[in-house]
Amino acid sequence: MKKECIAMLLAGGQGSRLYSLTSRAAKPIMPFGGKYRIIDFPLSNCANSGINVVGVLTQYQPLQLNSYIGSGQPWDMDISRGGVYILPPYQSAGSKGEWFSGTANAIYQNIAFADLWEPEYVLILSGDHIYKMDYADMLEQHKEHGADCTIAVIQVPLEEASRFGIMSTDEKGFVTKFAEKPKEPESDLASMGIYIFTWQKLKKYLIEDEQNPQSEKDFGKNIIPNMLNSGEKLWAYSFNGYWRDVGTIDSLWESNMDMLAPALIDLYDRSWPIRSRSPIKPPHYIGENAEIRHSIVTEGCDIRGTVSNSVLSSGVSVGEGAVVNYSILMPGCEIGKNAIVEYSIIGENAVIGEGAAVGSPPNGMSDIKITTCGPDSAVNASARVEAGAMIYSDRRGK
Amino acid sequence: MADLHGLIYAFHSSPALGDLVMPRTSASLPFCSRYRLIDFALSSMANAGVRGVGVIMQRDYQSLLDHMGSGKDWDLSRLSGGLRLLPPFGMHGSSLGEYKGGMEALSAVRAYINDIKQNYVVIFRGDLAANIDLKDVFDAHLSSGCQITAVCAENACKGGGDIRFIPDTQGNSKKMLFSNFNENGALSTTEVYVINKSLLVNLVDWCHSNGKLHFHRDALTHYLNEGGTVGLYVHKGYTARICSVSDYYSANMDMLKAEYRNDLFNDDNPIYTKGRSSVSTYYGEDAFSRNSLVADGCYIEGELTNCVLFRGVRVKKGAKLKDCVIMQDSVVGENVSLSHVIADKYTVFSDGLALSGSHVLPIIVPKCKII
Repeated sequence: MKKECIAMLLAGGQGSRLYSLTSRAAKPIMPFGGKYRIIDFPLSNCANSGINVVGVLTQYQPLQLNSYIGSGQPWDMDISRGGVYILPPYQSAGSKGEWFSGTANAIYQNIAFADLWEPEYVLILSGDHIYKMDYADMLEQHKEHGADCTIAVIQVPLEEASRFGIMSTDEKGFVTKFAEKPKEPESDLASMGIYIFTWQKLKKYLIEDEQNPQSEKDFGKNIIPNMLNSGEKLWAYSFNGYWRDVGTIDSLWESNMDMLAPALIDLYDRSWPIRSRSPIKPPHYIGENAEIRHSIVTEGCDIRGTVSNSVLSSGVSVGEGAVVNYSILMPGCEIGKNAIVEYSIIGENAVIGEGAAVGSPPNGMSDIKITTCGPDSAVNASARVEAGAMIYSDRRGK
Repeated sequence: MADLHGLIYAFHSSPALGDLVMPRTSASLPFCSRYRLIDFALSSMANAGVRGVGVIMQRDYQSLLDHMGSGKDWDLSRLSGGLRLLPPFGMHGSSLGEYKGGMEALSAVRAYINDIKQNYVVIFRGDLAANIDLKDVFDAHLSSGCQITAVCAENACKGGGDIRFIPDTQGNSKKMLFSNFNENGALSTTEVYVINKSLLVNLVDWCHSNGKLHFHRDALTHYLNEGGTVGLYVHKGYTARICSVSDYYSANMDMLKAEYRNDLFNDDNPIYTKGRSSVSTYYGEDAFSRNSLVADGCYIEGELTNCVLFRGVRVKKGAKLKDCVIMQDSVVGENVSLSHVIADKYTVFSDGLALSGSHVLPIIVPKCKII
């Protein structure tokens, strides 16, 4: 069954820099912005861009991710000629089967899946970015410039450039140099980790890279440099919208706070909807003595206390007299009466006891220390959790 | 899978609902921020393992069709059974105009009833807001040995409930009361019935051949006169039938009370509804909200007190809403002041407008109206 372009979504990473928050489930399934999971963004972008075959490569803690994606129906992808496919590592004929050992290796191990669709182009996405992008426009440019690979790039402040894969381009916009996390960046064009490859070209480089025992089997470190060195045409697709990598506690907190500034990314725009699988919950309730301002609240919440500058996912309860400020409350968590939660991320179904105090405001904006309570964790009544602390403990004893 | 088939009455538009039923039937009235009344019938059935449901409709059913779609949201899009829509067939000999009673509606779908494979049928009003454990009702029906079981409300069913049964010592009934008769211990029926299919077919045929149209006045009276017994099941949770504007308004306001809300909505027997993928609700810097229910997708910069807001409502700066029900995608402009207003879908209140009804007489703003 032929498709011009299919997407391969890398969703197998552990997200180890999110520590306790990803102890239960992979990063792409992390709740985000109240209603969403991170993976809703690339999946919705695919649906809105007319890409209706998406392979989701899973490895680390995939169970929640598998059930969240299900048939793909929430993203309008339960179709007969295409859809969302979960692709875990598997044993192929004549091999013992092995884990994905790098981003490139994950695609290499699924060459057969891609070949099923006889695609001209393959879009490589990752499950840890928040953005709205029209991949069809990117594909247009890829074709127009006869590129072998097109890399989406965004301008970043030069002082932060050493955190990214940095590209230099010629006057037309073709990539001349690529450096993964350079100490002294030569440009401010950062790779967004979104690639379109001409499939036959990519396949060739994936197979070659597998032969090299020194390779880390990574797109940024191996495949892109190899293509560049061999003189392939790499086009830089520049993107101007909102884009954030949410790989760390700080960036997860900051980008959730960005959702409180609708000017940054318009999620109310019905021409480019970001869709999600909704839990079955009644409307949220704001109580008689509650106060709520500058916050995002989702269905199923029950708010009796004071909530400001915060992002609340579905089914969160905030008890009488509790204060929640500059915090992210993930689905189903409970904030006990008179508890204070500030500058914190509270994981799914975590319970903060009555009168407990979690986190505290910074002395200055440069001194923000985010406190995290992992999924299913519990903070005892009247306990004090210092700013920047991380709670792992699990009340179910698992 | 239960040996039980569902039939929902969705043909009726109660005249006392006025402008609220202009574009729709009572069964598709929006309720409690994100639901339609028929969600209660469909979900109660789905939660009891009912796999086949026929929805009897007659006119103004476009919004109903739009809401139910394939029935997927209630897990009623199935390989066998599932949701069946029963609009008028225009059968030879059938009368024109609105069905005058439940039996006329059932007669119109006689062929469908005949083909029901299950041995028992549950009949549910589409305008009833109640989360009824039909599995428990069905078990009670089987163990009572009665051919028909009435689900009665523990407390008088809000909005209606004028038909009552007098229980005998076994908790069954041989006597039905209509309005104006008052007798201690009588239980008011929610008009949800579990009935043996064979009895249902007999009653439909008897009514059809005798020109009788009504379920209670004709069919049930005939059944009791012939010596039949009605099993009684008492439903303890919140029950409201929505027949008038005042029923509608007070049932929505009831949902602000946790005890009623938790009765209708619980995780064990969820009420499903048509999915709408939208963003969470945003409260602005100057927003204020007290004792209110709000669905997803709203954008609130003004003040809410005792309000029920549906999905996608926008409340602009300086607007003050008190005791209001605001339906999907309506826009309340800056400095608008509303109290006791029911705004239908897509209404727009221009900046600075003030509108005030009262608890006994809320103002209804019809669908798509721009004021």
